[in-house]
Amino acid sequence: MHSKGSMIFSWWIDFDVHRHAKLLCFPIVSGRSPAFIFSYFFFIYLYFSLQMLSNSSVIFPGVLESMSVDLQNFSFLRHLEDMAARVVQTFSGWRTMSCELDGAASAVAVSRDGSQVVVAGRNILKVFAIEEEAFVEKVNLRVGRRTSVNYSCSDVAWHQLDDNLLATAATNGAVVTWNLSRSSRNKQELLFAEHKRTVNKVCFHQAELHTLLSGSQDGSMKCFDLRRKDSVCTFNGQSESVRDVQFSPRDYFAFAASFENGNVQLWDLRRSDRCERMFTAHNGPVFSCDWHPEDRGWLATGGRDKMVKVWDMASARPRELFCVQTIASVARVKWRPERRYHLATCSMMVDHTINVWDVRRPFIPFAAFEEHRDVTTGIAWRLPHDPHLLLSGAKDCTLFQHIFKDAKRPADRANPEALCFGPRGDVAFAAKEGLSANDPARRALPGDRRNPFFFIRKAPEPYDASLTQQHSGSVCSVLNVFQRCDAKEKLNPLENESESFVELAQRYCLAGRPFAELCDHNARIAMELCRHQVAQTWLILKLLYAGGDASPSPALLPNGGIFCGKDGSSGLGGDGMSERGKSEGHGDGGLEEPNEETEGSDVENLTASVGLYAAAAGLYSGNGEEERLELLDQDTTTSDFPEFSLPPEAFALRHEIVDGPAGLEHLQTNGPDGPGSGDEDGTDEGMRSACQGKVGGSTAGLGITAAESVSLISVSQPLFGQTLPPEVFAPAVIAMLEFYAERGDVQSTVSTLIVLGEKASGGVDTLVQEHWYLSYLELLQRFRLWDVATQVIRLSTCAAISALNHDSTSLNLNCSSCRRALGAKGWLCDRCRRCASVCAVCHHAVKGLFVWCQGCSHGGHLKHMHDWLSASPHCPTGCGHLCEYT
Amino acid sequence: MVSVVNTVDTSHEDMIHDAQMDYYGTRLATCSSDRSVKIFDIKNGSQILAADLRGHEGPVWQVAWAHPMFGNVLASCSYDRKVIIWKEEGGTWDRLYEYDGHDSSVNSVSWASHEFGLLLACGSSDGSISVLSCLGDGTWEPHKISNAHTIGCNAVSWAPAVIPGTLMDAPSGPKSTPVKRFVSGGCDNLIKIWREEDGQWAEEKKMEAHSDWVRDVAWAPSIGLPSGTIASCSQDGRVFIWTCDDPAGGSWTPKLLHKFGDVVWHVSWSITGNILAVSGGDNKVSLWKESTDGQWKCVSDVNKGQGISSGPDETRPEQ
Repeated sequence: MHSKGSMIFSWWIDFDVHRHAKLLCFPIVSGRSPAFIFSYFFFIYLYFSLQMLSNSSVIFPGVLESMSVDLQNFSFLRHLEDMAARVVQTFSGWRTMSCELDGAASAVAVSRDGSQVVVAGRNILKVFAIEEEAFVEKVNLRVGRRTSVNYSCSDVAWHQLDDNLLATAATNGAVVTWNLSRSSRNKQELLFAEHKRTVNKVCFHQAELHTLLSGSQDGSMKCFDLRRKDSVCTFNGQSESVRDVQFSPRDYFAFAASFENGNVQLWDLRRSDRCERMFTAHNGPVFSCDWHPEDRGWLATGGRDKMVKVWDMASARPRELFCVQTIASVARVKWRPERRYHLATCSMMVDHTINVWDVRRPFIPFAAFEEHRDVTTGIAWRLPHDPHLLLSGAKDCTLFQHIFKDAKRPADRANPEALCFGPRGDVAFAAKEGLSANDPARRALPGDRRNPFFFIRKAPEPYDASLTQQHSGSVCSVLNVFQRCDAKEKLNPLENESESFVELAQRYCLAGRPFAELCDHNARIAMELCRHQVAQTWLILKLLYAGGDASPSPALLPNGGIFCGKDGSSGLGGDGMSERGKSEGHGDGGLEEPNEETEGSDVENLTASVGLYAAAAGLYSGNGEEERLELLDQDTTTSDFPEFSLPPEAFALRHEIVDGPAGLEHLQTNGPDGPGSGDEDGTDEGMRSACQGKVGGSTAGLGITAAESVSLISVSQPLFGQTLPPEVFAPAVIAMLEFYAERGDVQSTVSTLIVLGEKASGGVDTLVQEHWYLSYLELLQRFRLWDVATQVIRLSTCAAISALNHDSTSLNLNCSSCRRALGAKGWLCDRCRRCASVCAVCHHAVKGLFVWCQGCSHGGHLKHMHDWLSASPHCPTGCGHLCEYT
Repeated sequence: MVSVVNTVDTSHEDMIHDAQMDYYGTRLATCSSDRSVKIFDIKNGSQILAADLRGHEGPVWQVAWAHPMFGNVLASCSYDRKVIIWKEEGGTWDRLYEYDGHDSSVNSVSWASHEFGLLLACGSSDGSISVLSCLGDGTWEPHKISNAHTIGCNAVSWAPAVIPGTLMDAPSGPKSTPVKRFVSGGCDNLIKIWREEDGQWAEEKKMEAHSDWVRDVAWAPSIGLPSGTIASCSQDGRVFIWTCDDPAGGSWTPKLLHKFGDVVWHVSWSITGNILAVSGGDNKVSLWKESTDGQWKCVSDVNKGQGISSGPDETRPEQ
């Protein structure tokens, strides 16, 4: 394409530039506006000047682009013309301008050459010259002290053949013609006072100098010959008031008239007895009609029903080609020059803007002029071949010249795309059709893991070939919804987030079993769903808090073994996707410094605890920081407890293990016998900083690499055993909770919070907890997991959350015999001193489930009622009511 | 193989401007230039047209679902300067309320968090923002912020009903009621945060980073997140993530997510607020996630031959 354009131009350059350009352009530009011709040559001149200057085509890539389009294609010229007009408008000083009027305008009309405009209204009739910078008043046609009602205009027309000839329609029924060339102050020429009511419209014949047509509220149209004193003929539409009359630009004798009852009539000037054709165009008055300047037979009509319709009058029956729906009743319709599908409308009420529509895109205006502050009453394109200049008068007493360059473009502003992130992780995306569908690079590949499914617009009913050919007008969208992957993709945490969320929510066990079992259970579930990190968290929690439990479940053993089997720190990554690294502390290696007495009886347990604690501490401190946790150990050594130094090979390691250096080399003992608060502080501090480091540095992959990160942990005896205070772990656990919450995995946070119960909740601010709970509940509700949500509410340690379940749970009962409200007791009626809830079958008071009929309010034990009503349709009390048991 | 679940005809006659899934993800509302709002039931991956809401007299720009605790309530805004709030009762959709207080096209609607009741913000091309609140007796009270954005407001989005920074600072004082806040973006290239004080709406923060019209703003849901996060996108092709760690909501820091080659029209957060979907004028959707070192990474680009918008023709046959 580009090369073609260049070729054309290089070919041009071979010749005398200007002469050739003229030759080439002349057939194209003849019959076009001066602005177009001027701008065309200006542009070509500009182009070649620049071309010669720079000898490069870079300067006007846009021009080249458009040039490269086939010259026969009209759109090329349109494009160029647009650009040219922009240049001309910028340099010529044409601009949006306005002037104040003495009164509200009701119509405007333009002289043939576009140099003057006349504004007519009830109190105004003035001619303005349109100059570059402003409107200049030329003639005030309302002269004399007593202004006649003949001058109170509802419409005005300027003859397209005679620059001095004007006609106005008056509200009293008069039609007046004006001759601007008269030397006297009074320019009035003729006055026809034939209509009985307001004349709504006057129209000159385009080709006939002396023919004038009027349409009136009295329902008649009159044709005047300006050489005579009265009308030549009268056309009676027989359908209420005439709102508009328009001579056809193509058919010499034809004119269209629109009526208040919604009809449009087509008349022949030579036949005044009846119309050629009549059809109902609108529901309600048709305020305006306009013939297409180029397309023979296209008539646009605008009505109070807020619609603009384009009719093909050439066919046997008028056919609706387009229908534009505006937001307010349509007062005027004017086709835009040089733009086949564009027309301008203004409204009678509500909407003050002038909209220019592309009739092929009937919902959204192509352009809008929003300058007027009150209802626009008259619009006129300034030149018959210039689509860029529009004149308008309005009730706000202003006259405007609008330039297309300054128009608002609602269609361009419109958002062409829609995007929505669904709660289940699916993405709905709608985009303009054509942009997305036909690009081969964007086709779905076989084996694609997403399942796009489509909304497709029904193929439009083709009007006819000529209308659908130029497609640029109509636009529609394709809406795709991208679903997240299927089960095969479980490994990717992003892809199955919502599924695993639901799965976890349903399968997590949050209460009702011993702590350790809960942890095991949940860890197993998380593992099944490939949430390795969460699974590890559960296991660690178990180790931390159920450490005294000497019987780890079989499921746990391998994992527990990892802790013990490694000396130094080992990195235990999850699945390599998003797992934060874990440092598994030393079990046996850490138990090095014997400096306290050991209670032999409990050695095993204690050692287990030490090992676990050490593991935990190592986990949370293994981040390369220098903190040393002190481990006050009993006099047990590694060799005493071989069962805790299982060789790593004894179980399958699922993950890469980063070996740290031997723990022994790094073991230090600070404060060997300081079991007091100092040690705990140290521990806390170490953990806290470790956790911060962990949270901060928990990028994907394996976290712990630093060999020197091995910390020595000393545990003093009093910290040991079943009574190990949970506060020790609290900071680390809280950090863990916050870590998950920050990542948006509030499920893990809340689940662990619930399972931990009092063990952890003390350390977290209640407001924060509440927020976590509420967030999780919100998510659960989104997924309609009501049961889980209720369970979470019930198990929550947060008062504000538990209270959620107590909202609107009271049920007010009426006594079944006296039908009065039962008091506080709920089962004994104060008035009739009877037990309200007596079974109608066995006559005993019902405790437990009481089922009753809402119709007769009798009831009883669920089973009794069920049995009774399955046998008989009547109420067991014998009240005769046909109870329905469902 | 590509398994196309279903092929459904939206039968919109013009461009679709917005699509929104409801709270449960079981319904999809679309709106179009053709003045209609359509609601589809999504069941097992297929869509069935459930309702076709006609009432607007111009292109409908945006739709928004209210929280289901209020029933099935949908708000739509249009070029016809109106905001219509629809409600489904007994399977039929009716107008619950119609607001016509704007002087120009209404570009955006957004429901506040359900804690505040039915509270709707509407941004208009006339530069003003209206906040409509449903009073107890079913009447609606509009509150207008005039001159919110000169030239026009393009997008509004509510903050979650949690004060940003609460989680970080854990204030120990008496429990304060959450502040009503929303963010708006407009044609003045600005992003503004509005806050209600004593029943009046006041501009709390003005944020400048874009060099062209701001097209969309989205306040991230605060599912466990410690700070306020806002995503904004603009005509200039840039997407910014704004974060606020200040409990008072005073200081927001922008971070450039990416500069796209074309206008970016939409940003949308996942429900947990950790994945951001971005759609640009080049008809691409990309998903972004913040890695733990604070960098935003594109985790999925649905345009790279991975199934975006393939033509209907080749997806239909295989079943």
